[in-house]
Amino acid sequence: MSQQEKTITVSFMSHILILGYYLINLFQMMRNGELIATRLFGLWALVIVTIIIVNIIANILANIFLAILHAIKTQRAEEPPASEFIEDERDKLISLKGTRVSYITFSLGVLAAMLSFALGQPPLVMFSLLILSSILAEIFGDISQVIYYRRGF
Amino acid sequence: MENRKVRNNIRKLRFLHNEMTQEQLAEAVGATRQTINAIESAKYAPSLELAFRIALVFEVPLEEVFSYTTEDEAK
Repeated sequence: MSQQEKTITVSFMSHILILGYYLINLFQMMRNGELIATRLFGLWALVIVTIIIVNIIANILANIFLAILHAIKTQRAEEPPASEFIEDERDKLISLKGTRVSYITFSLGVLAAMLSFALGQPPLVMFSLLILSSILAEIFGDISQVIYYRRGF
Repeated sequence: MENRKVRNNIRKLRFLHNEMTQEQLAEAVGATRQTINAIESAKYAPSLELAFRIALVFEVPLEEVFSYTTEDEAK
């Protein structure tokens, strides 16, 4: 598994956790009848900030994990070979393909959100769908990248 | 249309070059070992630039490393 694959896997797992956290909070709000703008927007801000921070931490963690794994494998505390850390043309291409999948997912989410509003749903439903689609976009982007790494293209 | 694919002789050429490892080839051409592995197993067709760099490492013309053939022609 390459450095990029490790980073994507860590990022995927953290996005799943964020999705779980968002859905649990959303359903709790709905059940308790507390689905009001201030609380939902608070959750929105928290989720967006968490996604940004988690992406940075996932990258750092994957780097540390790779260095530890390499030290264990070689029984030496030397740095892993430079070729483990470079991002070559294949990595860039897979990253672009993943971004395309994310954009398509998010676009469909935005369309669904607009449709819900057009069909008479309250604005909060539209905003909930928007944030949900942004998390799903990240997850589908990660999954597609792992598939491209494994299956080839 | 015929089912043509980019095929390569990298594994054979590595063997002929003092059993060069994928890691060594990756470092020589500025790619990752996983990319070299994907090229070898025909899961990824490299860019023209990377293909030339690989040929340069083995000091052979490009067509000795890569070919664009059908499965029948490759046999």
